Amino acid sequence: MEIFDNLALGFSVAVTFQNIFYCFIGVLLGTLIGVLPGLGPVPTIAMLLPITFGLPPVSALIMLSGIYYGAQYGGSTTAILINLPGESSSVVTAIDGYQMARRGRAGAALATAALGSFFAGSVATFLLAVFAPPLADLALKFGPPEYFALMVLGLVASVALASGSVIKALAMVVLGILLGLSGQDVYTGTPRFTFDMLELADGIEFVALAMGVFGIGEIVRNLEDEHTRTVMVQKVKGLLLSREDIKRITGPILRGTFLGSFLGILPGGGAILSSFAAYSIEKKISRHPEEFGKGAIEAVAAPESANNAGAQTSFIPMLTLGIPSNPVMALMIGALIIQGIVPGPNVVNEQPNLFWGIIASMWIGNLMLVVLNLPLIGMWVRLLTVPYHILFPLIVGFCCIGVYSVNNNAIDVFAMALFGVVGYVLVKLDCEPAPLLLGFIIGPMLEEYLRRAMLISRGDPLVFVTRPISATMLALAAIALIVVLLPSVRRKREEAFKE
Amino acid sequence: MKNFKGAAAAVAALALALAVLPFSAAKAQDFPNRPVTMVVPFSAGGPTDTVARLVAESMSRTLGQQVVVENVGGAGGTRGAGQVAKAAPDGYTVLLHHIGQATAATLYRKLPYNVLTDFEEVGLVTDVPMTMIAKPDLAPKDAAELIAFVKQNRDGVIYGNAGVGSASHLCGMLFMSALGAQMTTVPYQGTGPAMNDLVGGQIDLMCDQTTNTTGQIKAGKVKAYAVTTKQRVKSLPDLPTFQEVGLPGFEVAVWHGMYAPKGTPPEVVTKLNDALKTALQDPKVIARFADLGTEPVALDRATPEVHKQFLQAEVAKWKPVIEQAGVFAD
Amino acid sequence: MTRFVKSPKEVASGLLLIVLAAFFAWQAMELPMGRAIRMGPGYFPMILAGLLAFLGLVVLLSGLTVPADPDDNGIRFRNWPWQALALVTLAVVIFGLGIRPLGLGPSMGLAVFISALASQRFHIVTGLISAAVMVAFSWAVFIKGLGLPLPMLGPWLGGY
Repeated sequence: MEIFDNLALGFSVAVTFQNIFYCFIGVLLGTLIGVLPGLGPVPTIAMLLPITFGLPPVSALIMLSGIYYGAQYGGSTTAILINLPGESSSVVTAIDGYQMARRGRAGAALATAALGSFFAGSVATFLLAVFAPPLADLALKFGPPEYFALMVLGLVASVALASGSVIKALAMVVLGILLGLSGQDVYTGTPRFTFDMLELADGIEFVALAMGVFGIGEIVRNLEDEHTRTVMVQKVKGLLLSREDIKRITGPILRGTFLGSFLGILPGGGAILSSFAAYSIEKKISRHPEEFGKGAIEAVAAPESANNAGAQTSFIPMLTLGIPSNPVMALMIGALIIQGIVPGPNVVNEQPNLFWGIIASMWIGNLMLVVLNLPLIGMWVRLLTVPYHILFPLIVGFCCIGVYSVNNNAIDVFAMALFGVVGYVLVKLDCEPAPLLLGFIIGPMLEEYLRRAMLISRGDPLVFVTRPISATMLALAAIALIVVLLPSVRRKREEAFKE
Repeated sequence: MKNFKGAAAAVAALALALAVLPFSAAKAQDFPNRPVTMVVPFSAGGPTDTVARLVAESMSRTLGQQVVVENVGGAGGTRGAGQVAKAAPDGYTVLLHHIGQATAATLYRKLPYNVLTDFEEVGLVTDVPMTMIAKPDLAPKDAAELIAFVKQNRDGVIYGNAGVGSASHLCGMLFMSALGAQMTTVPYQGTGPAMNDLVGGQIDLMCDQTTNTTGQIKAGKVKAYAVTTKQRVKSLPDLPTFQEVGLPGFEVAVWHGMYAPKGTPPEVVTKLNDALKTALQDPKVIARFADLGTEPVALDRATPEVHKQFLQAEVAKWKPVIEQAGVFAD
Repeated sequence: MTRFVKSPKEVASGLLLIVLAAFFAWQAMELPMGRAIRMGPGYFPMILAGLLAFLGLVVLLSGLTVPADPDDNGIRFRNWPWQALALVTLAVVIFGLGIRPLGLGPSMGLAVFISALASQRFHIVTGLISAAVMVAFSWAVFIKGLGLPLPMLGPWLGGY
């Protein structure tokens, strides 16, 4: 079997002292920057690029990849502990993970995230090894109409993120899209909602919005009545998972892994959708949907598995086609060029050591991450016993430096301050921020793909229904919308009749 | 509340203490005595960033101080350029920008700085050639046929680019202006997604830097027609230039240059220029540039004077092309 | 609240959404609309602003007709932690203002200290210690460890 030869080659490259060392450095750094809110893998990898000049290409790439998936791993920690999602992928984890932490189940939530991520990472790495080339071809079949349909499906699914009013959730999605449209229009270069500020030409920074609405807003809410309420958490219960927990997370982890692996391949924002989609699916099929939003363990397991699986499979277009699917992959390509390797479809054949070495190192890296992170859980949970009035100013400090470091742009810091206020007001009015964030992420892509599809089809809207993949997804979206809206309509009616 | 007042007083005292601290003046002779920041007005990982990092690494060795690359992306490079224009003119903040420095003068009508008067040019760095590539099954067999094909089908041909003001956008504009035929232009956010749709056959044509295209061309995933420079490119020797196939005067290269803020002392500019020249002769830099499908500019072009004249010429060259296309970025 | 308003939260949300929709629509007015085939930059925002206004109206009407949940205790403006909200926001804004001219050290110290003031359990000693610890930590991790291109002291303080 060719695949075993390839994997053997990969492991022979990855399991050298030097490469294991760089893999470890990578995942360690990744975990660290993942835990620090705001500071993401892009600036870290950019800063480390000069160091990789002196390394052999395989070691350099192994270390940089480790930073990337290590950061995905670490990102869930702050989301769970202090409601601070530093990256789009941990927004969903924050919803129920933070509620679990408030109920004294931070340990269980972190353990679920770690185990789910490990399982998903391993499976996705295996898929990457076996199916990379055919999967990459599949990604090429996705044109603008298909992406548009995918985004519509994602938006409809996002309404399920809200546990309250569906109408308000829809309104939040729309508001998020409008905020997301800020910045230079891709098609004409016209600035929109930038108030003539050059600093806003690229739009509102996601990290500023997410950390403002979630992190800062939550801090103010916790300061409401410090005297009467134990602010942070109930007493921390057992750190590990009960047998009941394990039973509850098995299905979600499997489904999340599958979904994430598939969506991660799509370069046009598929990976971002995967955690949202995984959450919505779990909520729909769960026997206790009422627990979602209040600390359901499934709602941590599924999105965490999905985003970690997606993180691994998003390497597929980069490694097999030489096409970056996100800014991190663009950096990896930069690293390859600096190493003197011309990225492109030939890398697999011309540099088998590199290709298979990276894949093998991903599995080793995931193993290291789980070994590294499980013992840390105790320490993280102990962090929550620090009195809140001491903890929260530190969180504010981390938020500030984190959001500034994204673009070295002070306007992002001011935006975070503004969105902190907005986030607090929204929570007070029972408008949930999660759909807002999803709208923000997906909105600009929705518009981009819609306009692109219309341009390419020369203005023929039928393009969305004559192409089978797009038509199928739009049909699914329509069905999902009806399913989501029906119960709420019925409930409203019942309420009206009761009167 | 007692605590609160005490604290407010403490803040005020701290602020006062900070305000009266002395300023320190840097002297030009001992330049550089601390790290130099090289602003790249694009996100990390792109071709310009790669060029900057290679040059910065070599310059660090020459100057004996770290040259740190800082990515200040946004607004087609104008945010980073604007930041350098307003930075202290002491040589500790420099800009590495590409052709966009010249086109921004026309593309942005409300630019908060003046491209020609707000900088001290340090020297040109490199010219990255571009290639015209197409989806694998586009009908024309060679560059001459392509030109006829575009002239005939006009907006039936879909040209993708990496966004307003990007190199691929400029190349497309110049190509259409040279042919006198408008294609349907579909912008993307960066080269990656545009390349994806080209390889997948969703769009027909794109002109981009060899850095991005060589791998795809060699793997046969896209069809290559011609290069945009005066001479053929070493890494793609079979590709004709557009001048060879009947577009005289058609020339685009993504040239890169280094700038310091206006008013930087001449001796500091000289030191920076010397370090830049040393970098351009560094075998390691030359080797890596070759992988990018480019080479350092000839040393007589890596001077402030030539750079200044060239910048003026480029601003003048692009002004009518952009105005004719009627595309502005604000 | 009057009996006319059955659920003040819903009414307030509805009004807020309508105001926001109006704001976005007003901003989008200047942008070219284009047509469906070749949409201008104003096309999509305008449709969305309309949709947002519609949803706001639905929320508003439901607030006027459907009674609130019994456990919904209204907006209670008076119970909002105004001082905490103001101080935390101020802390972040000061960080943003100070980061370039003052450098990381002073702005971080000020941000942590000012936000510490937002707590009713604030104590000056712990506040100063927190600020100092955070300054030291951010120096070690962000400047030394990760090498962020940020000076500890900015140009106003003799740094660069």
